[in-house]
Amino acid sequence: MTVESVADALRRAWLGRRGWPSRVAGFWRSSLEFRTVATTVVMAGLGATIIGTTISVSIGANLYDQRRDQVQSESLRATLLAQSIFDSATATEDADQVELDSLQNEAQSAILASTSSPGGTSIAILRTPGQTTAQTIQAIASPDFPADQITPELRDQVAADTGALALQPVSLRGPGGDAPGLAVGSTLQVPTAGQYELYLVYDLSDAQTTLSLMQRTLALGSLALVVLIGVVTYVVVRLVVGPVRVAAETSQKIAAGQLDQRIPEKGQDVVATLGRSFNGMADAMQKQISQLAELSRVQQRFVSDVSHELRTPLTTIRLAGDVLYDQRASFTPTAARTTELLHTQVDRFEVLLADLLEISRFDAGAVELDLESTRVVGLVDDVVAEFEPLAAEVGSTVAIDARGGYLEAEVDPRRLRRIVRNLLGNAIEHGEGRPVEVEVDSDEEAVAVAVRDHGVGMTPAEAERVFDRFWRADPSRRRTIGGTGLGLAISLEDATLHGGRIDLWSRPGEGSRFVVTLPRAAGTTATTRPLRAEPDDAATPQATAPGTPEPTSGEPWIGTTEVRGG
Amino acid sequence: MTPRILVVDDDPALAEMIGIVLRAADFEPHFCSDGSAAVDAFRNSAPDLVLLDLMLPGMDGLAVCAAIRAESGVPVIMLTAKGDTVDVVAGLEAGADDYVVKPFDPKELVARVRTRLRPSSEPTTDVLTVGDLRLDVAAHEVRRGDTVIALTPLEFELLLALASKPQQVFTREMLLEQVWGYHYKADTRLVNVHVQRLRAKVEHDPDAPRIVTTVRGVGYRAGSSA
Repeated sequence: MTVESVADALRRAWLGRRGWPSRVAGFWRSSLEFRTVATTVVMAGLGATIIGTTISVSIGANLYDQRRDQVQSESLRATLLAQSIFDSATATEDADQVELDSLQNEAQSAILASTSSPGGTSIAILRTPGQTTAQTIQAIASPDFPADQITPELRDQVAADTGALALQPVSLRGPGGDAPGLAVGSTLQVPTAGQYELYLVYDLSDAQTTLSLMQRTLALGSLALVVLIGVVTYVVVRLVVGPVRVAAETSQKIAAGQLDQRIPEKGQDVVATLGRSFNGMADAMQKQISQLAELSRVQQRFVSDVSHELRTPLTTIRLAGDVLYDQRASFTPTAARTTELLHTQVDRFEVLLADLLEISRFDAGAVELDLESTRVVGLVDDVVAEFEPLAAEVGSTVAIDARGGYLEAEVDPRRLRRIVRNLLGNAIEHGEGRPVEVEVDSDEEAVAVAVRDHGVGMTPAEAERVFDRFWRADPSRRRTIGGTGLGLAISLEDATLHGGRIDLWSRPGEGSRFVVTLPRAAGTTATTRPLRAEPDDAATPQATAPGTPEPTSGEPWIGTTEVRGG
Repeated sequence: MTPRILVVDDDPALAEMIGIVLRAADFEPHFCSDGSAAVDAFRNSAPDLVLLDLMLPGMDGLAVCAAIRAESGVPVIMLTAKGDTVDVVAGLEAGADDYVVKPFDPKELVARVRTRLRPSSEPTTDVLTVGDLRLDVAAHEVRRGDTVIALTPLEFELLLALASKPQQVFTREMLLEQVWGYHYKADTRLVNVHVQRLRAKVEHDPDAPRIVTTVRGVGYRAGSSA
């Protein structure tokens, strides 16, 4: 271990120390077991503490009371005994000093013999001050009598109340520290010597010891109980959470695609019921998903097979129609006209078939994006050039306004071309001979192509339906470019496939503006708007904000359309 | 001498119709309707161009194409009902020079056939170098050192077009026009796949091309002489 690594470890530990509250909080949030066990332990601990304290206090008081009663009765007995000894001396008239002293000794030993306090009793006989008598006896005290504990108040009380005992708790200084004691004072009438006070000091340290022992035992017991509760709770929680955790993990695996994962079913209890229900649900889901996947495969195969089967005879018809069409000059007028009709309708059929198959591919999910780094402006240029003859036919001009910006985008050029062809074709067809404007713009995230015509325009009701399949704005309108009614639907699918969208602005009498926006980078979604749907030369500022399709009549329709349905 | 076209298609009506169209354009059609007989028919009739349908009984169209390509550089145009990129690329990689999606305009078919049969660039005595390759234009040969690399005529034309103007970038549309002869919008996938095929044959490392380099967003360029 190098110095640097040690310093590093210490630094990390120091930083980690500051972070541990949040780590604990995180653990709390995430672990059901931890929460349960912690809550149980805390509450049990609280309860045990309260109960333990109550017991301890109660027993302590009880012990004390018991001891005090015992002390009291002993003291009383001792006092009576001593008194009787002194009283027995009054039989003789002349009680002299020697007799008094021997009586005192007798009394002292009798008292000591009668008190049986464990831990020892100390005794003192003190003369009540303020007396004048013929004789006196010596004040005595046992060697370890704590004279300083006898307060003046106690002495006063004892002297005043001659028939009763006075008690006072005292603190005895001993080798092991202070021990609790009880001092009991009573009066003795010594013949010819006056009133004396008898003080007995009892050592209560045995009771104290008992109490301490009990408290310790109680504390240890509570702690052990709380720990045990914690352990039991943990085990129980694991028993319950375990199956839940298994269920959660299995769900995750199934969601990730492993459809055959199941929960083990053991027993008859609620957990087993959960397991069985879960497995039943997973079975049903797996079957459904497999069915749908199979259906999708079948549909894709169908699309592929139909594609081939229909196209070959159609090619023959097409070729035959074209050969006849080329020779129509040499037919009778009726036959020539028939040939013309055949020719155009075969064309129309071809386009319709192609569109149908394309839509079918979208529905089956059998579409792939062939992304290429493409110069969008160049692509738009090419499509416009394609449509020049058609535009000239109806008298429209097509102008391109290509703004600078990010020239390249990762798009599928075939699909983008198809979208632009569709939008431009629609604009020319519905443009009523007026100019068509195409704009290209881009920002860092997306590229947009807008096609504006100044033709018929659409009402809001029409605009909302214009992307629907086979929906045409004016069914009676002559179709100059043989539209199928699927063009915009396919364009929308193409745009959505890229992660882009098509926005529409339209006003009756003023024309429409379609804006297709595609993301520049593969795999992303276009969220920005390099070109807005509303054109700059719209007659009046619109009252509705882009994206809210609820305008009043006369207001333009602005909206973004999403792919509806499957 | 009218150009001979071998039409390999299993649908008799369509084959006959194509024959009518080709005859009207002054070509001489021969027919074969079975994949396993196609290679023999090819050898026997020695056509100037092959129109090959992909869905054939017997041997699969792709296999037929590969077999023919192994023997000869004759132009092959695929006829296919499947226009998906996967199928088109598969056909082009098997050796086809172009593809036509059914149903097609007969005029378009004839135009493509004519373009493929058109004699290639004017013979010169030029010898061009690109990278470590030597292009002998007159002999239509490409050599690396002493080894001759076998390219189809179309691949050779592609390399030649790029090598003639070494530092010019050719867009896919330009290449379609110059090499394939299409003056209208054709599918740029043709160019992509053929460039890949060319790279597979002439590059030391096709994934890091030095001879035919890509210019992102624009097209291709012949690399500098190393």
